[in-house]
Amino acid sequence: MRKVAILGATMTKFGKLTQGLDELLLEPSLTAIESSKLSEKDLDLLYISNMLGGELTKQVSLGTMLADELGVKIGADRIENGPAAGASAIKDAFIAIKSGLFDLVLVAGAEKMTHMATEVISEYISYMLHPVERMSGATLPSLGAMLARLYMKQYGVTSEDLAMIAVKNHKNALNNPYAHLQKMVTVDNLLHSNEMEKINPMVADPLRRFDISPISDGGAAVVLAELEVAKKYTDLPVTIEGFGQATDSLALHERPVPTDINAVKEASKQAFKMSGISPDQIDVAELHDAFTILELVESEDAGFFEKGTAHKMVREGQTEIGGKLPINTSGGLKARGHPLGATGLSQVVELVWQLRGEARGRQVPGATYGFSVNLGGFGSNAVSLILKRGD
Amino acid sequence: MIPISYWRNRRSYTALMGSRCRACGAEYFPPVRVCRKCKSRDIEPREMPRKGTLITYTKLTEPAEEFGKQTPVYLGLIELSNGVKLVSTLADVSESELNEGAPVSMVIRRWTEEGPTGIIYYGYKFKVDAAYSMS
Repeated sequence: MRKVAILGATMTKFGKLTQGLDELLLEPSLTAIESSKLSEKDLDLLYISNMLGGELTKQVSLGTMLADELGVKIGADRIENGPAAGASAIKDAFIAIKSGLFDLVLVAGAEKMTHMATEVISEYISYMLHPVERMSGATLPSLGAMLARLYMKQYGVTSEDLAMIAVKNHKNALNNPYAHLQKMVTVDNLLHSNEMEKINPMVADPLRRFDISPISDGGAAVVLAELEVAKKYTDLPVTIEGFGQATDSLALHERPVPTDINAVKEASKQAFKMSGISPDQIDVAELHDAFTILELVESEDAGFFEKGTAHKMVREGQTEIGGKLPINTSGGLKARGHPLGATGLSQVVELVWQLRGEARGRQVPGATYGFSVNLGGFGSNAVSLILKRGD
Repeated sequence: MIPISYWRNRRSYTALMGSRCRACGAEYFPPVRVCRKCKSRDIEPREMPRKGTLITYTKLTEPAEEFGKQTPVYLGLIELSNGVKLVSTLADVSESELNEGAPVSMVIRRWTEEGPTGIIYYGYKFKVDAAYSMS
């Protein structure tokens, strides 16, 4: 049975960048190809992950564009699955290699966002909601806020608990030179200082600015290879042991229990089944914390903690580096940044660095298995991936 | 930007037009073509009841561009009297009335407009019932 491994994996620094969308795809691609000890002509296929290229930068056909810039004439597609495009593109590359048709596949993802006003970005992002939700004024943060209010009441979760997640992710990002926001914050700064309303205003009650990921520019790229081919180029392959993907109703209101993200439950269950491992074997996880509340809910729905207990793990420090399950060692969407199409790939890049022991100041010692979940829409599409350090 | 589908869906937006499965009786808003429960395609239009209760809500201070003039926007997750749920903007809000379980009713209000001289889009919002507000 063919196995799929990762060779080069890299990303640009995330943040407010001067590069355009084409450069954010090309730069990490060149680095990933070079660090794989490959040349462009070795590639069999490429996938682009991107959500809003047409809307924000007036550019589509991004697959063709990157192939052309790399000087190759191979098959190339753009994968769009909202902010889960990155993990979806990895999934498609995995299937392509697993099928036996291709051996070496490049996945590159990017988003250029910071040149547009926040309210414009907010509107474009809300295009992924159900039209009826969007027409009645809903945005992603407002749905996150309603989920948060229900969840917090049901399980006794406080605003301090949510702030602790932001504090942890900011702390991790201080040791990640690729992160967008490298600024130490404390729960006291965010919730109990005189400047609270200035630095951390309410966006959608009970979610404040520091509960919500920033708007970022950034790109990332990963080279995938059939394992035996990969071994010719590296002694440190990281294998993709499994993936899962599931959808749920497009509209939040149609879900019987709005605080459950069933797409994450189902996608993660599939990924663990394919990998043949259990959640307690995972050493490091990258979750889709577009909102702090989502990190809590996903850590339960992915199978790591019992429903309603994740905030206790956060209070005990179990999700920090050194805890039982370090979550978002990269800083997560909150602090690494959230350039939509690049996000899922940057999760994989972080896991690869962790599993190869290259995560420097934020390394989880001896990490063998890594897990990621990437959300498209408001919990309406989830892609889970499980990676393993190859030996 | 208001999607062109506003016009196709206007009966849903102005009269809460949903649908009902003739086979199993399940009701939906917005309308569906295939019953989510029994997979029947024998579906008929059905107006939803205009009364319900508030399940939860949020006060949104950074709405999408087209709703910016209405900032802050209050949004509610509402369960209609037939059990169907929807998300709606709340109208004429007094924050002290925003309690879970508050009875709400549909009203027709301005959603947004295309600039100062363009088309005005109307649709449903929900409002806490006057009797509850007084109590």
